[in-house]
Amino acid sequence: MKRFGWQSLVISSLFAATLAAAQARPQYGDTLHVAMRTAPTTLHPADSTQPDSFARRNLTLLMFETLLTTDSSGRIHPALARSWQAVAGNRRWEFRLRHDVSFHDGTALTAEIAAASLRAANPSWNVSAAGDSVVIEREIADLELPAELALPRNAIAKSAPDGKPSGTGPFHIVDWQPGKKLSLAAEENYWDGRPFVDAIEIEMGRNYHDQSIALELGRADLVEVAPEQAHRASMDGRRVSSSEPMELVALLFTRDVVTPDEKLLRDALALSVERASMRSVLLQGAGQPAAGILPDWMSGYGFVFPMETDLPRARHLREQVRAVPTWTVAYDPSDSIARLLAERVALNARDAGLSLQPTAGASADLRVVRIPLAAAEPWIALANVAAAIGLPSPKNNGGSAEDLYSAEQGLLGTKRLIPLFHLPATYGAAANLRDWSPRPDGSWNLADACLGNEKQ
Amino acid sequence: MTFRRKLLAVFSLTVFLSVAAVAFLVSAMTRRAFDKADNDRTAALVTQFQREFERHGADVVRRVETVAASDAVTRMATMLNHASTDSAGYFELAKSLAEGYQLDFLEFVDARGNIISSAQWPAKFGYPESAFDNLASSDKQSAFLKQEELQDSTALGLFAVRATRVGDRPIYVVGGRRLDKIFLSGLDLPSDTRALLYQNRGDRFSADLLVDASTPPSSNTRSADKLAPIIQAVQQYSQEMTSVIHWSADQADDEVFHAIPLRGNGKDRPLLGILLVGNSRRSYVELKRHIRASALLVGGGGIVVAILLSSWAAARVTRRVERLALAAQEVTAGNWNTHVEVSGGDEVAQLAESFNRMTTELLNQKEHLVQAERVAAWRELARRLAHELKNPLFPLQLTVENLLRARQSDPAQFDEVFRESAQTLLAEISNLKAIIGRFSEFSKMPHPQLQDVKVNDILRAVAQLFQAQLQAPGRAPIACHLELDENLGTIAADPELLHRAVSNLVLNAMDAMPEGGALTLHTTREDGKIIIEVADTGSGLTPEECERIFTPYYTSKQHGTGLGLAIVQSVVSDHGGRISVQSQPGRGTKFIIELPRNPDTLRSVLATGGVSQGNG
Repeated sequence: MKRFGWQSLVISSLFAATLAAAQARPQYGDTLHVAMRTAPTTLHPADSTQPDSFARRNLTLLMFETLLTTDSSGRIHPALARSWQAVAGNRRWEFRLRHDVSFHDGTALTAEIAAASLRAANPSWNVSAAGDSVVIEREIADLELPAELALPRNAIAKSAPDGKPSGTGPFHIVDWQPGKKLSLAAEENYWDGRPFVDAIEIEMGRNYHDQSIALELGRADLVEVAPEQAHRASMDGRRVSSSEPMELVALLFTRDVVTPDEKLLRDALALSVERASMRSVLLQGAGQPAAGILPDWMSGYGFVFPMETDLPRARHLREQVRAVPTWTVAYDPSDSIARLLAERVALNARDAGLSLQPTAGASADLRVVRIPLAAAEPWIALANVAAAIGLPSPKNNGGSAEDLYSAEQGLLGTKRLIPLFHLPATYGAAANLRDWSPRPDGSWNLADACLGNEKQ
Repeated sequence: MTFRRKLLAVFSLTVFLSVAAVAFLVSAMTRRAFDKADNDRTAALVTQFQREFERHGADVVRRVETVAASDAVTRMATMLNHASTDSAGYFELAKSLAEGYQLDFLEFVDARGNIISSAQWPAKFGYPESAFDNLASSDKQSAFLKQEELQDSTALGLFAVRATRVGDRPIYVVGGRRLDKIFLSGLDLPSDTRALLYQNRGDRFSADLLVDASTPPSSNTRSADKLAPIIQAVQQYSQEMTSVIHWSADQADDEVFHAIPLRGNGKDRPLLGILLVGNSRRSYVELKRHIRASALLVGGGGIVVAILLSSWAAARVTRRVERLALAAQEVTAGNWNTHVEVSGGDEVAQLAESFNRMTTELLNQKEHLVQAERVAAWRELARRLAHELKNPLFPLQLTVENLLRARQSDPAQFDEVFRESAQTLLAEISNLKAIIGRFSEFSKMPHPQLQDVKVNDILRAVAQLFQAQLQAPGRAPIACHLELDENLGTIAADPELLHRAVSNLVLNAMDAMPEGGALTLHTTREDGKIIIEVADTGSGLTPEECERIFTPYYTSKQHGTGLGLAIVQSVVSDHGGRISVQSQPGRGTKFIIELPRNPDTLRSVLATGGVSQGNG
C-alpha cells in the first residue's frame, strides 16, 4: 500500500509538472483584441500631421521597425541595422542593414529603401545608401542620432502599390478603416520569429469607460486605463500594468513672457499650484508630481526642482504687480482630468490673488497639455518637448547630467511651461494575455505575447 | 337751425351719450374685474409658488436624507472615521450620487468643514465649505435658499443639509436643486402668466442674471432691461412690488409683474433672488378693444337709428308746427283769412285751433276796425269838408247879403258894390275850386313808375328847389344841411313821387320853423335798406300828434288840409317802405323814411327800363 502510494504520488507529480510546463509554454494562435482612445487616420510612421501618443507609437511598432531600438535605460540595441559606427567626429553615421529582412509585400529591405524612408521622415537630413549600409551625414556632431533613429517616427516604411504603407514588423495589415479599426495578421516570415498570436484587431476611438466595459465583457484583451483609474481598477482586481512616467502634464503659456510683471505672475502661479493634493485626489495617486520637464527616473535630478506650494511667496510676487489680468486656461474638453486640473489650478491661483478662467475653447492664455516623452533617452525626450512647445531644441554637447540639467533649466527659464505631473501609460490586460507587460517607455511589445485559456 | 334739426340733434346726442356712458361703465367694470382677477391670479400664483417651493424643498430634503443614508455615504463615513483613511478615494462620489439622486448640487463635507467631494465643482475638494456658519446647526433644518458659487458663475438653489454619523466624526451631506429654467418650467402656471427668476448678485441690474423659462416672443424683442426698475425697487426696499411693464407701443403686450423677494438663511436673511410673476394684459386689452368696438358699432348704429326715428318723430311733431309757422307768415303778409288743419288732440292741435280762432277773431276785428275807420274817415272828411267849405261860404254869404243890402239901400253905389262883391265871389269860388282840386288830387295818387334812382340826387334837387324859400327875405332864415352817404347807390323808385314826398316833408319842416332853424337831409344804408331822414329844429310834436300825424286830413297847422303827410306815407308805402317820426316838443322833429333796396326789382328795372309798382 505504501509502495503503491509512493508511486502514485510520483506519477501525479510528473503529470502536474508536465501540465504546468505545457500551460507556461507560449501558445500560438488566436486573435488578440485591443481597444484604444486614439483614432489615427493614417498609419505612416512619419506622418507629422497626427499627434504623437503612446498608442500611435505602439501601432507603428506592430507593423514597422526602426534601425535601432533602446531599452528602458536608454541603451541602444540593433534592430534592422545589425551594426553601426560614427566617423568624422560623430557627423557621419553608417548603419549596416540585416540581409534577411523583407517588407510585408515581399520586397527585400535595401539600404536605398531605408534611406528613402528616413529622408521622408527627416527632410533636413542627408541620408544615402552605400552598399548594404545607410549613411547619414550631419553638419555638426550628433551624439543622439542612434537614439533618434530608435524613435517610432523613424521606422522604415515603404508605400505598397495599393497605397498602404508596408513595413517589416511582426504584423502586417489585413484591414484598415482609418480612425475606426485596424486588423493585423502575424507575419509568418518575420525575421525575428513569428508572433504567437495569429492576428490583432484594434478598435480605435473608444473612451476609457467603453474600453473598461469591453475588457470586463471579454471583448478586449488589452485596453488603456486612465492613470487616475488605475488604483481603482487594481482594487477591483483588474490586471493593470503601467509604464514609467512618460507623459508630461503641464501648463503651457501660449506666448513668451513680454514684461517683468508677466514673469512675476507666472512665477506666482507656479508657486500656487498644489501638486500633491491634485495627485492624491484627481489622479488618485497616479503619476509623479513634477516641477521639471524630465521625470526623475529619467534624469536622476528631478527632485531638485521645487514642487511644494508656497502661497505666501506667490502672494508676495503677485502683490508686486499692480494690474493683474484674468488669464484663461484652456483644456481638452474630451479629457476630464485636464478639465479638473484646470479648475483646480484656477482655485489655487485664486488663493494667490490671481484670476484664471478655465475654458474649453481653443483660444486661451495658457493650456493644460499632455506631452508624451518621445523616448527614455533624456536628451531626445527634452528635445522633443522643446519642439512640441515651439522652443529651440537644446544641444547635447557631451551628454553629462550637468548639461542636461542646464538645458532643462534653460527651457523652464522661458516661463512658457509649468510642469505639473509625469504620468505613466497604463493598461488593463485580460487574464489570458500571457507573457505581456508594457515596456518602461509604454510600448506594448505584443510580438512576444500570447493568449491562454484562462478565464477572467 | 330749424326745430326739426334741433330735435334731431337732441335725439342723436341723447342716444350717443347713452351708448358712451354704457360703454364707459362696462369698460370701467371690466377693468376693475380684470384688476381683481389679476390680483387674485397673482396671489394664487404666489401661493402656488410657495407651495411649489415647499414641495421642491421637501423633495430636496428627502433626496439629501436618502443620500446621507445611502450605503456609499455610510461606507465613506465609516472609512473616514479611521484617521488613517484618505478621503481622496471619494473624490468622485458626490458626482455619481448627484446623478443617481437627481440633485444639481451635492457636496460631502467632513467634520472640519472641508469639502471631500463636490458634484458641482469637483476641483474644490479640500477647500472649506464657507457658506455655512455652523454646519451642525443646519442639520435637520428644512430646505433653504442658497447662492452656490460655481467654477465660472453662481447659481441659486434650494438646499438641505443632513449628517451621516458613524463614530464621532460626522459627514455632512449638502445637497440641492437649482432654481433655473427647469424649476420655473415645472411651475404649473395659468395661461398668459409666466414666472421669471432674477438672481440677486450685487446692486446693479444685469439682464444675464434673469432666468426666463418662457419662450421668447419672436415678433418683438422684450428687453429685460425694462424689468430693471421693479427689480431695483425690490433690491432697495426689500419688499414685494407690482409694476406694469410696457414691452411695446401695443398695450396688448403689457404685462403686470409682481416681484417677490427670495431670501436666504442666516441672521441677515440676504436677498438672494427675486421671483417675477408676470400676467399678460392681452386678454384684458383685447376685451376692452372689443367692448370699445362694440360700443362704437352700437353707438353708430344707434345714432343712425336715432336719426331715422327722430327724423320721423320730428317730422310728425314739426310738420304741424311748420304749417302753423307758414300760416303765421301768411297772416303776417296780410292774409288774415288763413286757417290750418287741426288733427289730433295734443298741444299742437290745440295750438292750431287757437290759431284758427285767433285769425277768425282778427278778421272780424279787422272788419269792425275798417268799418269804424271808414266811418271815422267819412266823419273826418265831412268835418274837413264842412270846415273847408264853410270858410269860403261865409264870405260868399256876406258878399251876397252886402250886395242885396246895397241894392236896396244905395242903388247909386250898387254898381261899385256889385263889382267888388263879384270879385270877392269869384275869389271865394276859386278858393272852393282849389279845395275841391286838392281833394281830387289826393284821390288820384298815381302808381309809382320805378326806375333806377339815386336818392342822393333827389335830395340835392329838393334842397336846391327850396333853397330860395329857405333864405327868402322877410322870414327867419333856415340853414339846410345835406348829410348824404356817397356810397348809397341806387334803388328802384319813382323819382317824381319820391321828390314830392321829400318836398312835402321839407315844406312841413319850413312850417315848423317860423322862427328859423336848421333843416338836415340825411341818407344812409342799413341792412338792405336806404334810410332818408328829414329833420328840423322847429317846435316839435306831442306824442299824441305823432300818433295821428299820418292820418289823412289830420293837421296840426292852422290852414293845412291834413293830406301832406298822408301823401308822403302813401308814396313810401307804394315803394314798399315805411315812414316813422321822432319828435320832442320844442326840440324839433325827424321823419325817417326806410326804403328797401329791392335788388331783384332793380335788376328787373334795369333790364326792362321801368316797371309799375302797385299794391293791388
